[in-house]
Amino acid sequence: MSLTLVTIALAAGTLLVMALVLTYILGWANVAFHVEVDPRIEAVLDALPGANCGGCGMVGCGEYAEAVVNDGAPVDLCAPGGASCAAAIGNIMGVEVEETAPIRPIVHCGAYLEDRLGRNEYLGEKTCAAATNVAGVQGCVYGCLGFGDCVAACPYDAIHIRDGLSDVDYYKCVGCGACARACPRNIISIEPFKVDKILAVLCSNKDDGKAVRSVCKAGCLGCKLCAKQCDLFSVDNNLSCLIYDDYDPDNVEDILKAKEKCKRNRIEFVGKEEDDQNNND
Amino acid sequence: MNYIIDIFLIAISAALINNFVLYYFVGICPFIGVSRNVDMAFGMGCAVTFVITIAALISWTITTFVLIPGAPVTSFLAGLVLPAEQASGIDLTILSYIVYIFAISSSVQFVEMYVRKFFPPLYKSFGVFLPLITTNCAILFACLTIMSNVAVDNPEEAWDLGRALILAIFGGVGFTIAIVIMAGIREELDLCDIPKPLQGAAITLITAGILAMAFMGFTGVDTGLKNALNPPDEQQIVQQTNSDDSIKLAEQGKNRTAGGF
Repeated sequence: MSLTLVTIALAAGTLLVMALVLTYILGWANVAFHVEVDPRIEAVLDALPGANCGGCGMVGCGEYAEAVVNDGAPVDLCAPGGASCAAAIGNIMGVEVEETAPIRPIVHCGAYLEDRLGRNEYLGEKTCAAATNVAGVQGCVYGCLGFGDCVAACPYDAIHIRDGLSDVDYYKCVGCGACARACPRNIISIEPFKVDKILAVLCSNKDDGKAVRSVCKAGCLGCKLCAKQCDLFSVDNNLSCLIYDDYDPDNVEDILKAKEKCKRNRIEFVGKEEDDQNNND
Repeated sequence: MNYIIDIFLIAISAALINNFVLYYFVGICPFIGVSRNVDMAFGMGCAVTFVITIAALISWTITTFVLIPGAPVTSFLAGLVLPAEQASGIDLTILSYIVYIFAISSSVQFVEMYVRKFFPPLYKSFGVFLPLITTNCAILFACLTIMSNVAVDNPEEAWDLGRALILAIFGGVGFTIAIVIMAGIREELDLCDIPKPLQGAAITLITAGILAMAFMGFTGVDTGLKNALNPPDEQQIVQQTNSDDSIKLAEQGKNRTAGGF
């Protein structure tokens, strides 16, 4: 037999023997070091969208799945997954889930660049978090700054700055709430959208009417005309606010009346366009 | 006595002077990736040390008994079908890379199961970096260093298992030292006002470079230690025999100085 053949045979034999020995050791270790993992964690993780957006308050989907199974965290914290995801997790955990409306952000500012008074050229770092600490960037200290911290925070490319104002793309938005957490002025609120399009008060300015007039062509003056038309409005601190707990999308006539009465047109529809919705269907 | 000195020199050399990370620049991936805080860095260092030791044990055994020319197992098996002088010439060192990778990945798999069972928090904090030890070149480097010291022409000089294990363990210790120092510096760096262009990876790499330069200060320590620990026997003999011949002594001294450096 030739040297070459013997060498090849020995090489193959070496690898074969190594493979057998190491496989045996690892097989033994697999049994000896077996870790019991709750199969529900895996199942919950599969039911979650896996976006790791952090909207539930945990670091990622994995941690939320563990919290649900081990610590009994609520099953409906996942906003991107929505009702279907909550139902699936509820199934796995054996708990009933109430039907809840999807939650979406509303930007409570309606002033575009031309509406804002006292806005100066700002040469600092172009983030809202930095600009909000600098006096004189714009007159209104409550409204949107337009430097796009919310845009940077959004993992779904669902919010953009249009003409200096944050504009939510409700077709892309899943309601994770990252924009609301990112906004240093807290003008983005997360509300239940019982229908695709709901009414909202688009202003956050809590100053009195005269002060609002001096900084904004569009802001809410706190005149309470809307509250006289409809009980759902409450006017505190010179700012009208719609209470969404009792908001009935099929019965908005009172609110529409209030919308017509509003001198500053601050009450507007937000959400998906119904026409587009029909076209898409 | 000679053996202990040899072991000591190998240990010092692997841990400090020829530090795997800061002298040879192997194992940079976990060095940069897992050096965010000291606890995790220390855990990573321990895991690497453990894996490197197991891998060295396996690779020394296979290299000595199977791979090198004239290895006992290979010679015996080949001797069954070939004449003796041909059988002892079979060289399987071409298999070294595949065999070492084989051994390393298996021992990493083993460590992963072990850590998962007995140290769940450590397992969680390692994340993706534990499987990455598989492709950690520091470990393959240790295996290849051992091979190059086993597969020497003179069988007398070939490393035994003790030397191989000392290299592996102290190589791992050196890796741990480097990564823990790095993690300490990076923890302090988090509190510093770093210019924007240098933030993140840039300052990390600059830090690593400066750290490597600092470790260059150890260069030559091994030669010095060797000279200090090995009493130069020849010198004494020369001095005794030629104590009256000052010219010859001076010449000897000159030669020794030239040779020593």
